[in-house]
Amino acid sequence: MRVKSGYILREVAGNYIVVAVGEEAVDFNGLITTNETGAFLWEKLSNNISEQELIDAMLQEYEVDEKIAAEDISLFIRKLEDAELLINE
Amino acid sequence: MKLHKIAGLYVGLEYSHELMSVRAPKYESKDRPKIIDIVISSSPESIDRVRETAPSLSDSECEYLYVGASFYNCLVEFNGFMLHSSAVVYKGNAYLFSADCGTGKSTHTQLWLKAFGEDAKILNDDKPAIRIMDDGIYAFGTPWSGKHNINEDIKVPIKGICFLHRSDKNEIKRVSAKEVVPEMLKQIQRPTDVARVDKLFENMETVLEKVPVYRLGCNMDVEAAHVAYNGMK
Repeated sequence: MRVKSGYILREVAGNYIVVAVGEEAVDFNGLITTNETGAFLWEKLSNNISEQELIDAMLQEYEVDEKIAAEDISLFIRKLEDAELLINE
Repeated sequence: MKLHKIAGLYVGLEYSHELMSVRAPKYESKDRPKIIDIVISSSPESIDRVRETAPSLSDSECEYLYVGASFYNCLVEFNGFMLHSSAVVYKGNAYLFSADCGTGKSTHTQLWLKAFGEDAKILNDDKPAIRIMDDGIYAFGTPWSGKHNINEDIKVPIKGICFLHRSDKNEIKRVSAKEVVPEMLKQIQRPTDVARVDKLFENMETVLEKVPVYRLGCNMDVEAAHVAYNGMK
């Protein structure tokens, strides 16, 4: 899975913000705010990656329990799916 | 095409409907600049494109919105942006009150006129332009000021930006730039191309570094204006 193209992640005065650009911005002019971990996952999801690979990447980057990482990532993915921001290919 | 000076920029505008014809002439310029900064012409196609998002609007209203939105998109490249707010001027400084439609931005700045009389005036009631200049951050009146044609062709340094919400009690507090970014972004017209989005974010960070931001809980009593002014002066 990966995030749809047409969305960009930026840090603005300490906030991690996702906005749509180009054609996507016509349908979506809202914004998504996330935290540092969310930004890390978003960057990883800009290329095709599996859920297990995401968990592995997070365990390498952060000192976190595998079970908690898996739960957090599952929740994050569900949020992106609800917002229709993910594509599976 | 007529030449205008808006927010310190030379703007060539071509339009054909009533609203623009009523509101733009105040900003016409007789200067003969070497460079025109921004050129905008409305067309039936551009009017139709606005109508797709707002079907109930007349040609005249669509044109007005189209030209305004185009101007504010270009403004980003001139170190500025539009903040959806009512801007009031008092003692040489501008105070910008921002919130969602219907919260009471204009109602609040009208209270300033009541509280401070002729010393206070509205700079732009809905869509002031903000620009980063060499000597500070300024608010400018523009022809685009929402429902009412309340705007002045002047340039005033910004003393504070305030996000307001309704409350029984009048209360103001300073908030950090970090805290206010998501709320502020909702009230800023955002371009759709990546380069301009990045420039907008850069402009926003600069403004937030230099201008204090506040959160105001307010009712419709004239005391609200005094509380806001005392908190921001």
